[in-house]
Amino acid sequence: MNKDVFAAALRNSLNEIRAICPDVGSSFVFTKDGVVVAGDAHVDNTVMEKAARSFQNIAEKTDVVGGLDTLLIDGDKGKVYISCLDNLYLAMITSKDADIAYLRSIAHVIVPTILKLLESILPTPLKFVPPQQLTVETLSGFKARFTADTVEIHQEILKRWSEIFDGQGINKVEIEAFSGKTAECKVKAINNSNLEGKGLIRIPEKICQILEVKTGELVRIKPIAPQATTSLWQALKEIQI
Amino acid sequence: MPSKRKSREKIENLSVALEKIKAREGVIGYIYRDSTSASVDLRNPTKTIEYAALSATARESGEYLSNTFNLGDVNTIVLEGGDTKMLLLIFGDRRLSIFMENNVDHNTIYDDLSLT
Repeated sequence: MNKDVFAAALRNSLNEIRAICPDVGSSFVFTKDGVVVAGDAHVDNTVMEKAARSFQNIAEKTDVVGGLDTLLIDGDKGKVYISCLDNLYLAMITSKDADIAYLRSIAHVIVPTILKLLESILPTPLKFVPPQQLTVETLSGFKARFTADTVEIHQEILKRWSEIFDGQGINKVEIEAFSGKTAECKVKAINNSNLEGKGLIRIPEKICQILEVKTGELVRIKPIAPQATTSLWQALKEIQI
Repeated sequence: MPSKRKSREKIENLSVALEKIKAREGVIGYIYRDSTSASVDLRNPTKTIEYAALSATARESGEYLSNTFNLGDVNTIVLEGGDTKMLLLIFGDRRLSIFMENNVDHNTIYDDLSLT
């Protein structure tokens, strides 16, 4: 099971919770880095990301109280209840009169049970990496035609991502423009020392057209876990044997 | 001016209530702020800045989250940490943060304050 399947399973679970708990208007799960893992159908992704980042501001200040376990915001028209689940946070937006004891049972019993179940059928633990924001430099000309499916980024970023994935090389990335357009591409290190450390991503013209971006614009980049491609290669080798 | 007198009475009542609450077992202290002044009474004054920063950030982020999800004005925020809990009450331009050990029932503290 890869990350997308995990997120889909978790999203379905959150939808089901919403269906059986009418007080829960919407809910989503995010990491301690503010990366949204999954949300039910009623929350927009951008809203979830902004909420997760705002919550991080509070979490950063909680050393004085021994870290953050739960946060309850009680407003005139509803509540936000955020609960820590090991390395993740569950946020629930509820009605004004939602029963806190009931929310606690969802947050501390039901969702952790679902997460444990999902994690138990994964071969290796999932890693949710915060996206990296880089500035586009369009690659055009003769060289770009031969590497039209490969982008280039700073070696340090590739090395940092590789460390997150236990030393495995990163060969593919997902690029997201701020318009919402995405593309998956191969990736390699920038081969020009003058460009190192400038926060650039060199993207062939063809991919820029797909993403509808141009030089100077910002895009977000995430590594694609090497496990998927390694597993596929292993599987192909076994078939040949 | 009845409304000013009423406000002063409320604040005096609040001060009296806070003194009683602070004497309770497990209550660490409080930070009270309004538009012109602040009052701090904490068991460990060396943590004043950290508690104040947490209170201010919780209020700001709480209001942001409440606006984001259309929940109206924020009345209270309860933050449970590993060993300490913060009850943050917002009434108008005033903010009262009470810090306590996790085993203290913050609901009874809220009731004792009688901020209506």
